[in-house]
Amino acid sequence: MKRILLACSAGMSTSLLVTKMEEAAKELGEEVEIWAVAQDKAPEEMKRADVLLIGPQMRFMKKKFAVTAEEVGIPLDVIDPVSYGRIDGKAVLNKAFDLIGN
Amino acid sequence: MNTFMDKLENILVPIAERLNNNRYLTALRNGFMVALPLIIFGSIFVVLANLPFLDRVIGEEAYQAYRNALGPASAATLSIMGLFAIIGIGYKMVEQRGGEAIYGAVVALASFLVLTPQVVDNTSGVVPTSALSAEGMFLGIFTAFIASELYQLFVNKNLTIKMPAGVPGAVSRSFSALIPITLTLTIFLVIRIIVSFTPFETVQNLIYTIIQEPLTVLGSGLPATLIAVLLIQVFWFFGLHGQIIVNSVFDPIWYALNDQNLAASQLGEELPNIVTKQFFNTYVVGLGGSGMTFAVVIALFLVVRSKQLRELGKLGGPAGAFNVNEPIIFGLPIIMNPLVLIPWLVAPVVVTIVTYFATAVGFVPRLTGVIVPWTTPALISGYLATGNNIMGAVMQLINIGIVFVIWFPFIRLLDKQYLQSELNND
Repeated sequence: MKRILLACSAGMSTSLLVTKMEEAAKELGEEVEIWAVAQDKAPEEMKRADVLLIGPQMRFMKKKFAVTAEEVGIPLDVIDPVSYGRIDGKAVLNKAFDLIGN
Repeated sequence: MNTFMDKLENILVPIAERLNNNRYLTALRNGFMVALPLIIFGSIFVVLANLPFLDRVIGEEAYQAYRNALGPASAATLSIMGLFAIIGIGYKMVEQRGGEAIYGAVVALASFLVLTPQVVDNTSGVVPTSALSAEGMFLGIFTAFIASELYQLFVNKNLTIKMPAGVPGAVSRSFSALIPITLTLTIFLVIRIIVSFTPFETVQNLIYTIIQEPLTVLGSGLPATLIAVLLIQVFWFFGLHGQIIVNSVFDPIWYALNDQNLAASQLGEELPNIVTKQFFNTYVVGLGGSGMTFAVVIALFLVVRSKQLRELGKLGGPAGAFNVNEPIIFGLPIIMNPLVLIPWLVAPVVVTIVTYFATAVGFVPRLTGVIVPWTTPALISGYLATGNNIMGAVMQLINIGIVFVIWFPFIRLLDKQYLQSELNND
């Protein structure tokens, strides 16, 4: 079970991605838990996640989130804008898996 | 071009980072979030209390009774939102510092009440509700900042009463807050006493006169509004969440303006402000998200021929109706795309100017101050925000038309490019 946390300003636009990523995971036969939160909830939610992905419009939060991410020992990165615009669940899911894998 | 873009990116990202991560602005934003459910609850009942034609259906007398019955809902929430913001800010300030947040909330609230007049028209033992809303907003924010910082400072200085090991945790915690809270509130009491000897008489009056009034007058004007609109667009062009960044600075002003309108509309007086928080929710964000992209979605359905753009319309359309438009911003793409920079910057500015003057001349009513959530679809939000007036929806419809006309040639150009590259690939 891989737990993927997405964060943006209000958790609205990243929640669009959640469904697409879940579909992509189903196709791959991977068991995942994916959820989207608003930026101020992210540090708390990170504790039960395996990876944090940040919406590109909130990429200026990366430095701040990186501190908490290090404390709880999970990787994080900013979602690539092209995949974000296309709501490309598969690409973002692969990125999450790559980050967890490393 | 790329190095220029990189340079701008290197300037804008740190600004966004600063504004968004500043401790005070973060506490302010999150503190307002605490108040938001209450504000929306109150707004729902203001809308219900002002349903159109109801007085004609059930009669004037029954209508008054109905309004009086619903009145407390907004009086207890929307009208005293400053109070909840203070609690929220005090809580979040101390939480950030890793202290016991609930004491941050109470110390902020108590400090504010220490500064608040407790006499109205020679009746003592009462607090004017106006002090807890628009008029007290700025004082409340400053007080929450200072009180929670002082509290945490005294806690960190170890100015607490240490209890022996056998004392239960809850008991010793209640004592640990004692000295920091006593010192903090004493300081505010002294401030109150000092100001009472000045011509301002109350701290409320002092802050209102020298800070809040000048700032809100400035913030309600067209120039400041256009600067805010443009900044939002520029940040978004670089793929940064402009609304969030600009809100950090403008929200206290916009909410104060909003509250003035609300207070006036409940007294049946003329509404003082054109630009309010709701002005942005309704006419700037409310037309499909930042950058008013609902018209762009319509264009993607009506005029484009390239596969990629049509696909984007289907992908971004449903969310766009609820003013979530990241798929459009990143998918078109709007970010870093010089081709759409002109309509992206020009359309919101034109719409804001048109709406401002249309409101000023009375074509469309001023906004009553109810808070309609920003995810409410266009036309519905305009209707609700103007006090259930169809002209609010008409204004939004006109605005969508303006955005469409400005964008149209650029969408055609973009479509041609996509079509060309799709043909080349086939």
